[in-house]
Amino acid sequence: MTQGLQSQRKPGSKLHIKRTLIAYSFIAPNFIGYMVLTFVPIILSFVYSTMEWNLGVEKTFVGIGNFRYMFSVDLDFWKVVWNTFYYTIGTVPVCLILSLLLAILMNQGLRGKVFFRSVFFFPYVASLVAVAVVWMALFNPDKGPVNELLRSLGMKNPPRWAGSAEWAMPTVIGLTIWKQAGYYMVVYLAALQGVPMELYEAARMDGANAFQRFTHVTWPMVTPTTFFVSMMLIIGTFKSYDIMYVTTQGGPGTATKVLAYHIYNNAFVSMKFGYASALSVFLFFVVLIITLIQFRGEKRFTSYL
Amino acid sequence: MKLKAKLALLLTLVMLCSFCAVQASAEEVTLRVALWDYSNTEYYKTMISGFEAANPGIKVEVVEFSAAEYSDTIVVKMTAQEDYDVIFMKGLPEMAALINQGALMPLDELAEGYDFAPYGGTEQSLVVDGVLYGMPFRKDNNLIFYNKDLFDAAGVEYPHDGMTFEEYLDLAREMTSGEGADKVYGTHVHTWASNVYMYSRFIDEYVYNDASTWDALIPYYEGILALQNEGVVQDYGSLKSGNIHYSGVFYKQEAAMMQIGTWYINMLLENIPSEDYASFNWGVCSIPNDQGITTENVVGGLTPVAIGAYAKHPEEAWSFLAYITGSEGAQILAKTGIVPAWAGQEVLDIFDGFHNDHPNAPEGLSKYLTGNFVIEQPMDANGKAIAAVGDEMHSAIMTGSMSVEDAIAEYKAKAIQEGAAE
Repeated sequence: MTQGLQSQRKPGSKLHIKRTLIAYSFIAPNFIGYMVLTFVPIILSFVYSTMEWNLGVEKTFVGIGNFRYMFSVDLDFWKVVWNTFYYTIGTVPVCLILSLLLAILMNQGLRGKVFFRSVFFFPYVASLVAVAVVWMALFNPDKGPVNELLRSLGMKNPPRWAGSAEWAMPTVIGLTIWKQAGYYMVVYLAALQGVPMELYEAARMDGANAFQRFTHVTWPMVTPTTFFVSMMLIIGTFKSYDIMYVTTQGGPGTATKVLAYHIYNNAFVSMKFGYASALSVFLFFVVLIITLIQFRGEKRFTSYL
Repeated sequence: MKLKAKLALLLTLVMLCSFCAVQASAEEVTLRVALWDYSNTEYYKTMISGFEAANPGIKVEVVEFSAAEYSDTIVVKMTAQEDYDVIFMKGLPEMAALINQGALMPLDELAEGYDFAPYGGTEQSLVVDGVLYGMPFRKDNNLIFYNKDLFDAAGVEYPHDGMTFEEYLDLAREMTSGEGADKVYGTHVHTWASNVYMYSRFIDEYVYNDASTWDALIPYYEGILALQNEGVVQDYGSLKSGNIHYSGVFYKQEAAMMQIGTWYINMLLENIPSEDYASFNWGVCSIPNDQGITTENVVGGLTPVAIGAYAKHPEEAWSFLAYITGSEGAQILAKTGIVPAWAGQEVLDIFDGFHNDHPNAPEGLSKYLTGNFVIEQPMDANGKAIAAVGDEMHSAIMTGSMSVEDAIAEYKAKAIQEGAAE
């Protein structure tokens, strides 16, 4: 009888096929959606990146023409790449450290920590448009409370924030951190609560102070989370365009124009869908390379217990 | 049994009714009309019900899109060959994009024998390679609006037609007074590029799709920037960060003058009624310039309306276009203070009569609507992209991120890259 069952489970047997089909049917709704709405467009954007296409009937094959244009003709391209890295490098480390610090704070036996946890998490749940409007009002160069405060502290010419080319990017970075830190705080909080108490006890027995306990117990124990958070943040900031769209529209001038915004502009304002696809292929490879480097680093720096 | 019989009877009745309904609707044509701001714009509803009453058998189904993204949405929608019969557009750059992708139907055959005289030639701006692709629905030219009460209180003479740009700047300086919450700014410069380039476009110095003309903007940018530095106008960065709408600034009497389009007549009539406690008297004059041109020129944009290339009912769509852009539609628009492209005497009389019902509105408005219409952004297949370059330059200059000369030199190159003439 056992033998009979085994033969039925063998690949190719009727039962096996049936079971596989049933299993596929479970993932089918999501998988079909993914294929049609995500995977196929990704493949198509690779195809379109070799074409000139303004959404009309005609598509002209131009080979690597779009890429040549990107690297040597497009007056905005290098500035936009620089802005993208500036935005990412400005956002990721600060957001990561801040959310870890918040999580450590929230992990203490503080009074009212549930309240504070909700307060920090709130910007993440709130609509981006609403959060952005509030942020821009806070940082209004002439009438905003931040500059009022700076003026009352004796600063004669406080930064003009989104109203100046130098400060526009830091303003957007600040908004991103404010919006995102709460979410990653919760992620870190989960990780912190997974650190076994015995390790802290052992460290205490060995005479480790708070800082040493952090560097030798907490930090190594949450490295898998740090890896996850940094990867999500980097990918997120590289792809981000919505924050610029609702705050600065890439301006003043090109000060906050990032790659994803440049793609949007080329596609939907200039109607250059071929070139926009080429730009998104470039973005794809940048993110891919950075992710690969991170996976390499993961093996070195991450400790799994 | 009885119940079953009743049910059967009911079902038969329902089927019969629906059959009749299908029969009735088979004779009826439904036009699909793509536009924005339908739900909060009364005149669309008045026009559509007027059209339906005049044309029994034609129903209008409105497909409404969000106003802010309309220009981009409609172009993308039409690549999917949507069968909209009637397509409204915000301006010529997106119309050029639609024509370029073959999404609009040529109107020459349908419009044969139609009387274009009352459009004052504006329909010529909608002709590409000798083919007419749309009908001018609204036209809006920019004017200087001013608050008469503030000028009276300051004892300063009202702005007048034919001021030089320098006189206008000095007038703004003279009208600036007060501090903090009581401050009155001499004039208001909204955050659009057009709030600066219109001065130059008015006398045909500057054309957005010809980079060789961009240097003509330098004195205007320098003039406006000087006002901004002197605190005569509100700061661009502040307005932009605060998302401040120009209408409120003028309603609240925070600025003595403002350069904006004629649609503001409608907004003032509706929001500043003369009997209101916060009311004030307002007036208009033509855009300042150094060539002594007054009302013989007007500068602004057209709101075109067209028939989709994949329309199912082009004949009926044409009668809809003829109705809304013709005498009937124009009068409905004019009564609300919106300027229709069709400028027959009936429409001009309506504008001249506003002062009677609204004593705080000026007399003789019509003379500011009839001049030679200088089109703000002439049709160009790359229009949207070039206009976006102009907008980016505007933000760079107005925030002081770049000097006027540097910005114009740099952005001229970008405009050329996007297809502007060199």
